[in-house]
Amino acid sequence: MLKLEDVNTYYGGSHVIQGLSLEVETGAAVCILGRNGVGKTTTLRTIMGLTPARSGSIRIGDQDTRGWPAHRIACSGVAYVPAERNIFPGLSVEENLRLGARPPCEEGREGWTLEKVYEYFPVLGERRHGGGAKLSGGEQQMLAIGRALMGNPRLLLLDEPSQGLSPILVENVARIVRDLCREHDLTMLLVEQNFRVALEMADIHYLMGTKSIIQDQVTSEDLINNEELIKCHLSV
Amino acid sequence: MASVIQIILNGLVLGGVFLIVAIGLNIIYGLNRVMNLAHGSLYALGAYFGYTLVTGKVLLFGLDFEFGGLNFFLALILAPALVGLVGWVLERVLIEPMRDRPMIYTLILTYGLMFLIDGLIKANWGDTPHYIIPPEFLQKPVYIGDFSYPAYRFALLVGVAVVMGLLMTLLNRTRMGINMRAAADIPEMVSALGVNLKAVRVGAFVLGCVMAGIAGFLVGPLYPILPIMGHDMLISSFVVIVIGGLGSLRGVIVAALLVGFVQALAEAVITNFAMVIVYMLMAVILVFKPYGILGEGKFE
Ligand SMILES: Nc1ncnc2c1ncn2[C@@H]1O[C@H](COP(=O)(O)OP(=O)(O)OP(=O)(O)O)[C@@H](O)[C@H]1O
Ligand SMILES: [Mg+2]
Repeated sequence: MLKLEDVNTYYGGSHVIQGLSLEVETGAAVCILGRNGVGKTTTLRTIMGLTPARSGSIRIGDQDTRGWPAHRIACSGVAYVPAERNIFPGLSVEENLRLGARPPCEEGREGWTLEKVYEYFPVLGERRHGGGAKLSGGEQQMLAIGRALMGNPRLLLLDEPSQGLSPILVENVARIVRDLCREHDLTMLLVEQNFRVALEMADIHYLMGTKSIIQDQVTSEDLINNEELIKCHLSV
Repeated sequence: MASVIQIILNGLVLGGVFLIVAIGLNIIYGLNRVMNLAHGSLYALGAYFGYTLVTGKVLLFGLDFEFGGLNFFLALILAPALVGLVGWVLERVLIEPMRDRPMIYTLILTYGLMFLIDGLIKANWGDTPHYIIPPEFLQKPVYIGDFSYPAYRFALLVGVAVVMGLLMTLLNRTRMGINMRAAADIPEMVSALGVNLKAVRVGAFVLGCVMAGIAGFLVGPLYPILPIMGHDMLISSFVVIVIGGLGSLRGVIVAALLVGFVQALAEAVITNFAMVIVYMLMAVILVFKPYGILGEGKFE
């Protein structure tokens, strides 16, 4: 589904992602774990085309998407849920969802509708006409996920879904997202600092050190059994 | 001396015109981060295109020809559309390449553009004042008891209401409108959701220019059409969006009416002093309420 090879990304003159390679198989739930400021968000932004890579190759499905503008990447079936959620404050909940709506890439596949999103997230249904700015953190996260789903993506990019949420809400969001991906054959790439959330949501993990992946992918079991790895690369 | 009702109606007329021009300027700024100093010139262009279409006297820098002249209402649609076309070319050729530069570039660019357009207007249509002749039934005054008021001014108020209604429908009910409102908030996220941000920005620029063109046309039958008519309008609409708060629709409505009334008052009674008050109000707001009179603006 997704393959990055030797990708380099810069913010102006600063070289933020250095020779990053990773692979996400179709249907997998993969997490990039790493400390503050190592470049996790930048990795997702690079895939999404928001901070374009300067070199390397990015393949999504069977297309080389490096250099594509973000909207074209989105239309090829990638959805992005940023850590800040980026809910449009001037739009109602429903308008936020409608903005994300896009027909499914694969023909014949049943697409997401407003009703289906409201079924998954009843609280969004209740507030459909309210302003996006008035939602709580948890509701905003659900709206951001719902909005991403409306685009009928094949690949879901999630940036620290646990950020700013209470432990119970984190649990909730994690469960919903897992179920969603299973039920709808969604491939997910998640970035997290929180090791427990990562275990809960993903099966395969990459550890990211400053500016690049430092450890080949490991399974959740490997991660649990290897405390050294965690201590070294994460501030727990 | 004008009666109170007359001053109020005149204030509404002026305020309505300011509103349409200022909202155009505001939309362009909100989506393109361009303070379009040529906006007043596009307003003038709307009036000149209107004059040409209604009279049928086409001046093309010497290659002049005549046709029968169009129906007033048809011209009211076509003239702003032509201004929108000009806006589209300007965006593609001049604004888009400056996208990633600091704002001072487009500020200087549109400042130059203002003189360019004004110069072209002067070269083509000359210095003498022109008028757009409204349809016959709008040329007479309307009598209510022993109070009379020009029918065209009433029609202009209706026109402003219709334009605002159409604009609200566009912004609230159409996909393009939702895209525009979202892109004014978080442009990057709009493109991450699969919307071509460039197309939205061009659309907003053209829409803003069309608004200026409509206002210019509507004013054509009221005031003389002159090459410099855009200058005062640029200042007034700038004052309106500063008082209203950049990016605040409700604030701009309040501010447009406020400035409209003050100017109507100025024309009727205290002449020059009233506008000084408006500028002072603008300065006070800039310093103490950078988000506008209702505090709803999005940008300082
Ligand atoms: N817009 C920017 N301009 C310049 N440098 C940036 C920008 N955004 C991020 N950086 C820098 O790039 C590096 C990686 O940032 P990034 O946001 O990708 O890290 P992260 O792993 O997502 O961190 P966090 O855990 O805080 O979300 C950091 O050193 C950061 O300071
Ligand atoms: Mg981050």
